[in-house]
Amino acid sequence: MIGGELIIDNVSKDFDSVRVLRNANLKIKPGEFFSLLGPSGCGKTTLLRIIAGFEYPTEGAVYLDGKNIINKSPNNRHVNTVFQNYALFPHLSVFENVAFSMRLKKESNEKIRKKVTEYLALVKLEEHVKKMPSQLSGGQKQRVAIARALINEPSVLLLDEPLSALDAKLRQQLLIELDAIHDEIGITFIYVTHDQQEALSVSDRIAVMDRAEILQVGTPFEIYENPANLFIANFIGETNNIKGTVKNVDDDIITIETDSFGDFKIFKDKEVSIGDTVKVTIRPEKIRISRERPTDTDLPINVLTGRIDELIYSGFQTKYYVTLDVNGVTFKVFKQHIKYFMDDTPFSWKENVLIWWYAKDSFLIEVK
Amino acid sequence: MKKNYGQIYTLPLTLWLTVFFTIPILIIVAISFFKKGLYGGVEFKLSLDAYKALFNPLFLKTLTSTLFISVITTIFIIIFAIPSAYYIARSKKKDFWIFLIIIPFWTNFLIRIYAWIAILGNNGLVNNILIKLGVIENYVQFLYNQWSVITVLTYVSLPFAILPLYSTIEKFDFSLLEAARDLGASKAQSIYKVLLPNIKSGITTAILFTFIPTFGNYAVPQIIGGKDSVMVGTIIARELTVMRNWPLASSISVALTIMTTIGVLLFSNFNKSKTEELRELKRGIK
Repeated sequence: MIGGELIIDNVSKDFDSVRVLRNANLKIKPGEFFSLLGPSGCGKTTLLRIIAGFEYPTEGAVYLDGKNIINKSPNNRHVNTVFQNYALFPHLSVFENVAFSMRLKKESNEKIRKKVTEYLALVKLEEHVKKMPSQLSGGQKQRVAIARALINEPSVLLLDEPLSALDAKLRQQLLIELDAIHDEIGITFIYVTHDQQEALSVSDRIAVMDRAEILQVGTPFEIYENPANLFIANFIGETNNIKGTVKNVDDDIITIETDSFGDFKIFKDKEVSIGDTVKVTIRPEKIRISRERPTDTDLPINVLTGRIDELIYSGFQTKYYVTLDVNGVTFKVFKQHIKYFMDDTPFSWKENVLIWWYAKDSFLIEVK
Repeated sequence: MKKNYGQIYTLPLTLWLTVFFTIPILIIVAISFFKKGLYGGVEFKLSLDAYKALFNPLFLKTLTSTLFISVITTIFIIIFAIPSAYYIARSKKKDFWIFLIIIPFWTNFLIRIYAWIAILGNNGLVNNILIKLGVIENYVQFLYNQWSVITVLTYVSLPFAILPLYSTIEKFDFSLLEAARDLGASKAQSIYKVLLPNIKSGITTAILFTFIPTFGNYAVPQIIGGKDSVMVGTIIARELTVMRNWPLASSISVALTIMTTIGVLLFSNFNKSKTEELRELKRGIK
């Protein structure tokens, strides 16, 4: 199958004069695994429903392979949807659910049997053909929903938070399978989610949305490492925000003065001038925690002293909340346990520690 | 072991139903097997005369016409009730619409039927409007025929179909219709292939709630009907009050009860067999 190219051209949508989607512009490449990521109420589902044909945009157009489809009814679009609550037909068996679209097309029984079997095999549900939806687990229901949407051979598959009703382990597993299915059939996937972890792990590209607007479009790497604004930095993963004023600008190092804990250095990745108010963000996993000052590096670093206020051990990592000595600012520090935990002489609660990071690991996010 | 209080709790109801429902029915059954008294009442002599009279072609004709009227009325009711119930279930002002449906019950049943004479009568609302509009020159006889009876019967029983349908449709997951549309169904196909099968229990209840009272209705054909719309209920009343043939009135009642019961059993069995099939499937028998 060949994926469709989807262009969202300046689409806006009002509900009762409330703008729920504002001037959305996207170009989704054929075969791409594209995610719409944002908190609930950000307009991502509305955009998906406009693509599916359940909502009519107030302004703008949607082009599928070059043709504007906004005036086509949902049944005439070469697009299928996997719904959040599965939306399986309770009166039909697994087989008939998957066969639904083929029955509408009045295909021969032989052809239907063959193709349904093929798609149930794709989602690993061959054994449950005769069951009714009520007899299936949540994960199985979602697999039926996926097979049912794919059998129509759409050029774009829309997934509306398909995994949100499942538990964490199962979600992870289905996500990997979904990715494998995407690789196998190669059509365009548009995946709506509020879970940044899901979006980061499978997407080719992500559009981050908030309050009816698309804020940033980029690869998971770009979104995480180079968020366009503070909202994205905070929404995708966890981060520490620092506010300050530019005190000195060198060739590639900026010194920033803060009210709370003195000066610190940062790599110059944006043009600034002395006196600018800036916001800087540093990811918790890039901050190191130690008992002594690091001596084995020549690179510019920032070192702060503080006390471990909170400590959350979760097996593969520990999250430390370190409160600075100077004035109670708390930094989140994540430490991966790459060594056997006990060999590492673990830090304890209320212990006084140093936290430090390379100047190049934090970055300027807003300049005023 | 926990004591079962169920029988004690239901005792008042059991007494009530025994005294006012079971015993009268037994009396009716008994009367149907006695000989007709000269001036009403019965002679206490066993006789099957009343049942023989059931095979009178005139009675069979009435029975057929009653069946015809009931079936057509039920079909009309279901056709009107499904869209109404669907609309109410999807409306934001559900309470308001349900209220409107219940309001007519505040008026006496007979008065509501008489009101139809004011609407459909020769000097009634519809005729007057049509004459004023120049559609017709002289009044048209709407009343006193089969179709006026069907119209009023439809009106009378419509709420009893809308309410159970509404409560079923309200529980229906409307995203299933979107799923159907998404998979290529037209609007009509999504209703026919997804909505209707999923509200079958509501449709069954609606049919039973409307067909049974219609089949035994007496007042409507009496007031609105004409010669061609005599229903079984009318005959029972006539035999009892005018002809003074109590056994015949009783035997007709018994026949009516038996026919309705068989009908209901067949109908609900037909529906149940499908559910049973599902249950068996769930147990993994098939």
